[in-house]
Amino acid sequence: MSDDTLLPPADGRDPDMMAAELALGLLDGDERGAALRRVLVEPAFAQEVELWRNRFGQWFDIWPDVAPPGTLWARVERSIAMPAAMPLPETVRRPSRWWPVATGVASAAAAALLAVVVLRPDAPVPASVVVPTQPAAPARMLVAAIDPGERGAPISAIYDPATAGLRLSAAALASADQSAELWIIGADGKPHSLGLLRANGASTLTVAAANRARIAAGATLAVSLEAPGGSPTGLPLGPVVASGKLSLV
Amino acid sequence: MSDSSSAIAARARLVEALIRTGDEDRVAFRELYQLTSAKLFGITLRICGDRQAAEDVLHDVYLTIWKRAGAYEPSRASPITWLATIARNRAIDWRRAQATRRASPIEDAPAIADHAPLASEALVADEEVQLLQGCIDALEQRQRGAIRTAFFDGVTYAELAEQQNVPLGTMKSWVRRGLQKLKECLER
Repeated sequence: MSDDTLLPPADGRDPDMMAAELALGLLDGDERGAALRRVLVEPAFAQEVELWRNRFGQWFDIWPDVAPPGTLWARVERSIAMPAAMPLPETVRRPSRWWPVATGVASAAAAALLAVVVLRPDAPVPASVVVPTQPAAPARMLVAAIDPGERGAPISAIYDPATAGLRLSAAALASADQSAELWIIGADGKPHSLGLLRANGASTLTVAAANRARIAAGATLAVSLEAPGGSPTGLPLGPVVASGKLSLV
Repeated sequence: MSDSSSAIAARARLVEALIRTGDEDRVAFRELYQLTSAKLFGITLRICGDRQAAEDVLHDVYLTIWKRAGAYEPSRASPITWLATIARNRAIDWRRAQATRRASPIEDAPAIADHAPLASEALVADEEVQLLQGCIDALEQRQRGAIRTAFFDGVTYAELAEQQNVPLGTMKSWVRRGLQKLKECLER
């Protein structure tokens, strides 16, 4: 064999190419989860993933075109013309017409959304997130797209059970005289406050111990608009303006 | 107009359509669809390997683009890379949600050329394509094949190892060292 790169590495270790592997989509399961976690906590790693996406993106140029059926545009146009469903927790469970109803689909969709969202400039990585250096069996992260409908792009929420940290991308839902309050609605069907979102920029919350078990796949995250400082009653008083379901990454 | 200047003009037009789409301009969104739907359908069709699924995923991709176009920043990625990455990720998603893996190559989708065509409709810069291509060509054949298959078919390490009938660890080693070599070449 003439090329030494096919021989086993001398020290038995492969180079760390996780950023390229994530950009290519080679990883699955726990490895993918670990890579997504690194995107969140290592800005240099996130940049490396973006760099690889751009590098491989040049290959899209040689990807053969195939014309889609002429009816597809009308379908897209109809979909964007539909008024957004009332973003109440109950209505979030609208079935997806084009994807089979199966566990894993929502999770995979959320992960793809995450992959898109983390490339966005308005999602700075908080330096304060503490992550164990070598978790023996990393607990699986959860993500949600909290959809504010007509009010703007979905807020991405990423929960890391290892740190009980919940990170949310920037949202500008509340006016100056309001606070946007985040709620978790779990198996008991009742909203429990997780805290207030920052008026500008991304928010990072540490989930209180009592609420950690509620952060689970299928639970709903919702944002309501409350008086400054949040609802004094422990239940949302103001309108729920955005919601989304949690999925495992 | 030369190939490169028409490619630059095409890219500028696409950037403009994407930015205007971010402002919820439906006319611009339609133009964006006309400019990109064949590229994006080529992507979803190849990765999904199923025409109906590819159409459904493409529909979803354009809804995502409609919602997220406002987040696009021209300085960070070419418009086609940004759009095509969404399509590729969504198609991979769909594919991995299927219980059974596709065993055979897709019959419906056209084959990928070994080398970039001249930029008759190029939406990315020529020189960059040639740099990537040159560095890929410098890799050992099995590494090159694995990396290309990962990109164009959206497969995981496990699927690559199965296809090539090698242990998973061996496949990972090949690809990782190939990627390292590729990185060194691209950064040279």
